[in-house]
Amino acid sequence: MTTKTITPAAAPAAAPAPGRGNRKQARRNTLIGWTFILPNFLGFLAFTLIPVLAAFALSFMEWTSFSAPKWVGLANFQRMLASDSFWVALRNTVVYAIGHVPLTMALALLLAMLLNRKLKGIGFFRVAIFFPYITSLVAVAVVWNMLFSPDNGPINQFLHAIGIANAPGWTSSSDWALPAVIITSVWRDMGYYMVLYLAGLQAIPSELYEAAEVDGASAWQRFWNVTIPSLRPTTFFVVVMLTVSSFKVFDLIVVMTNGGPGRSTTVLSQLIYQEGIGEGKFGYSSAISLVLFLIVLTVTVLQFKIQQRRER
Amino acid sequence: MTNMAEDLKAESRLLGIGLPPNTAEEDRRTERRRSPREQKKRTTDLVIYAVLAVLVVALMVPFIWMVSSSLKENNQVLTVPIQWIPSEFVWSNYTDIWTRIPMMGYLQNSLYLAVIITCLQVLTGSLAAYGFSKVRFPGRDVLFLCYIGTIAVPWQAYMVPQYIMMQNLGLTNSFNALILLQAFGAFGVFLMRQYYMTIPDELCEAARIDGLSEYGIWARVILPLSKPALASLALLTFVNTWNDYMGPFIYLTSNRLWTVQLGLRSFVGQFDAEYAMIMTGSVISVIPILAIFLIGQRYFIQGIATSGMKG
Amino acid sequence: MKRRTFTAMALAVTAGLGLSGCAGAAGTAPQAQDGKTTLTVSVWNYAGTPEFKALFDGYEASHPNVHIEPVDILADDYPQKVTTMLAGGDTTDVLTMKNVIDYARYANNGQLQEINNVVDAVGKDKLATLDAFNINGKYYAAPYRQDFWLLYYNKDLFKAAGIDDPKDLTWDKYAEIAKKLSGTAPDGKKVYGTYQHIWRSVVEAISAAQNGKDQNSGDYSYFKDQYTMALDLQKSGASLDYATAKSQKTSYRTMFESGQAAMMPMGTWYIAGLLQAKKDGKANVNWGLAPMPQKDSNGKTTTFGSPTAFAVNKNATHSDEARKFIEWAAGEEGAKAISKVGVVPALQDDAVTDAYFKLDGMPTDTLSKKAFAPDSTALEMPVSDKSAATDKILNQEHDLIMVGEKSVADGIAEMGKRVKSEVLGQ
Repeated sequence: MTTKTITPAAAPAAAPAPGRGNRKQARRNTLIGWTFILPNFLGFLAFTLIPVLAAFALSFMEWTSFSAPKWVGLANFQRMLASDSFWVALRNTVVYAIGHVPLTMALALLLAMLLNRKLKGIGFFRVAIFFPYITSLVAVAVVWNMLFSPDNGPINQFLHAIGIANAPGWTSSSDWALPAVIITSVWRDMGYYMVLYLAGLQAIPSELYEAAEVDGASAWQRFWNVTIPSLRPTTFFVVVMLTVSSFKVFDLIVVMTNGGPGRSTTVLSQLIYQEGIGEGKFGYSSAISLVLFLIVLTVTVLQFKIQQRRER
Repeated sequence: MTNMAEDLKAESRLLGIGLPPNTAEEDRRTERRRSPREQKKRTTDLVIYAVLAVLVVALMVPFIWMVSSSLKENNQVLTVPIQWIPSEFVWSNYTDIWTRIPMMGYLQNSLYLAVIITCLQVLTGSLAAYGFSKVRFPGRDVLFLCYIGTIAVPWQAYMVPQYIMMQNLGLTNSFNALILLQAFGAFGVFLMRQYYMTIPDELCEAARIDGLSEYGIWARVILPLSKPALASLALLTFVNTWNDYMGPFIYLTSNRLWTVQLGLRSFVGQFDAEYAMIMTGSVISVIPILAIFLIGQRYFIQGIATSGMKG
Repeated sequence: MKRRTFTAMALAVTAGLGLSGCAGAAGTAPQAQDGKTTLTVSVWNYAGTPEFKALFDGYEASHPNVHIEPVDILADDYPQKVTTMLAGGDTTDVLTMKNVIDYARYANNGQLQEINNVVDAVGKDKLATLDAFNINGKYYAAPYRQDFWLLYYNKDLFKAAGIDDPKDLTWDKYAEIAKKLSGTAPDGKKVYGTYQHIWRSVVEAISAAQNGKDQNSGDYSYFKDQYTMALDLQKSGASLDYATAKSQKTSYRTMFESGQAAMMPMGTWYIAGLLQAKKDGKANVNWGLAPMPQKDSNGKTTTFGSPTAFAVNKNATHSDEARKFIEWAAGEEGAKAISKVGVVPALQDDAVTDAYFKLDGMPTDTLSKKAFAPDSTALEMPVSDKSAATDKILNQEHDLIMVGEKSVADGIAEMGKRVKSEVLGQ
């Protein structure tokens, strides 16, 4: 699956121009490349990659963490596919990601553009946007739940005022709890991704804007033809990180609704946590994480492809 | 990964035409336009200030509740309906917390971990990113996909195998375990790589012709250009380490090793929690993050990157 | 510029190192105790759970050759951490079993040592709910603490409403007086007749206990009356509604201590907290205890509870010392030590109960004393490897019934259906 995306011809031609019979050069490049990667890779291999592979292996076994693992083949996966809870959690996770990713991305970019200028006190505003991310989760949960309160919460009072008669029940309703969580999480995360976009905007040479202006491009055209293409690598990073973090969402949901009402906001990582470390079914929980991993990988590869097509 | 090359090519092409023709006529034209332009800028600034002010209030509401709760008696925090202004300001929470728990020690532990992990992550991340973006060698892209792939696996899934490994290495209950786990994450590599992709290869080429080694290019050309990215990576890593709860919880058993986040959770009992103290501690623990942010955000000044590219 | 940044980084690292080093800055490393055996005991929230210190100090005083070192774990995720530690082959000597569900898991997985001789030495008939720990005739843990549920009530609010103390309550009567007690206090605050916390046990465990049912059975029709009453209470405004309590993370302590709830079914652990709050002047409530309301008025009281126990780790470094400690802690000496801090010991003994009621600030009326001697105490959840999974399902459906998304009948039917298919595999 992973190799499909890589065709040798299209690999970035960043190294010194390869001439004829440059095998020596290639070997040197490999050596140089690895010396750059090695310090990080050693730590990554030992403490992340190996445990992750071990966890994947466990998904084909039955293991309580105390006894030796027992090979069970695909039994964990069969159980998972037959489990109602898995499908509910999968659906919730996907809905969450579909809501969370584009909204956060758009708002983060908007904020970054708003804050990427020389203004007095801009430092204060940048910090302020970051505040939701560093506010205690309990505070976030309590205050947002209060704002969402069905009868006397400010949000519903506003909705009544603008003539919406039966305003949603938000966190106490199965249908609206997930949207409520999405709104809160967008509010919380946009500052985080704003920082990434802010760094990305720095990389755009101001000459590009000046040239576009000289050519008579409007602000909107400059945004579409200069900002967006130049930000593509950053956007790709933001989209992948957002997708990954949406599929792994855990803390906010636990604190805000704890998966409720009923199972209406239960997500996959909660299931993994409960089944694994909560109930000691490590094989089963590993099977769910393997599926989660494959889903995210597929989405990431798709994002690659879409981006590639746009390039052409 | 394939698109990146084209991406870069497209960009350098843009860069090529992007250099404005520096004629005298052009200069005069900009001069004439300046004054109405300045006026326009002032109005936009005002509008932006207004938008930002509204936004700030909307973003700060839960934080305000957090501060307000830190000034209440514990049994006044979670009242129905919500109480915004404490009926009585309990300032003593801010003096008590230092004696209730060894807050100073926890802050030092958190700082130690956050600083070391951030430095290592930035250093190894930017090194590896150079290898992944500017040096071509076989197997590179597969390796890179491995990096991204692991980000997608929730930590809960491999926490136990990882712990068993650490226990066998005799590293549990020490800072080293956490440093080793978190300093070499894929996040930094990915972030820096994407940023390096936006830096035109022509710069590296020029440096190579000047006789710089690859390490020299990394240190003298790429690093200075990537200050905003380094700042954002450092900032985000610092915040994530500082706020991490589950990692320290699993790996740090002795109370003397605890971080701020663990210390604050010690106010949660089996059947109830002291929210006033938790909020007090949370307010205190936000201060170092603010300091780091205010320092780091100086690197987000529009146009800083271009100065290096003109040459 | 670059060099300056690196210098700054280096300085920061050195500063960090200088401040705390690898040793950690929050306290000093434990000193080796000369000639003493160091016994390690896993505990939760050591600073906030005084019973542990009371036990350890007491034991060290009478056993000068032993030094006890608590392995302090946060209360929130205690079982998760213990599971992880044990998976890594941890050698902590004594493991505290926070609830019987975890006990069942560790014992069935062979993580605990069998301690029948310890249980025999303490006396099998003396320990409340010891049966819960019996796995095929073997005991892998001994309970030292036994919390059970009773009814807390605000004497002043009862007096103001002209209602007698809640003696021999049935659930019908309880609901009736809860409605009468609701209203507005003189200071304009809303007063609820009762506060039923959001935990499912408030409805389900008590109903299982009083109907003599097993919550792992997959049949939940007996929950019906209790749910109907709970929903009626919140609908009539006699109790805070569930959705609000859950989303606002309402603290049951706040509800009771601020006089917003006239009654509250809750566990005995709250006694210690309440005594402390009154002692510190942080609460000013005139409270009393009553037995839990009953299904019928035959004078017998049935409630539910959950024991806390000590067990010996399979990989313990000092197994013999660990057994001795448990024998002491579960026995009379240990019981005395923890009653002094307001914790209810598992050891049932008149002398211990008397000592308990002599605590400063404890209500001493006969009703309170009667509340302390229920005729039977069922387990909150059975000791079974199915309990964890069942618990999760029952929680989710409880949520839906209480926010009014599912009718009582539908919710109960769904519970049965899901437990049967997802847990019992039928």
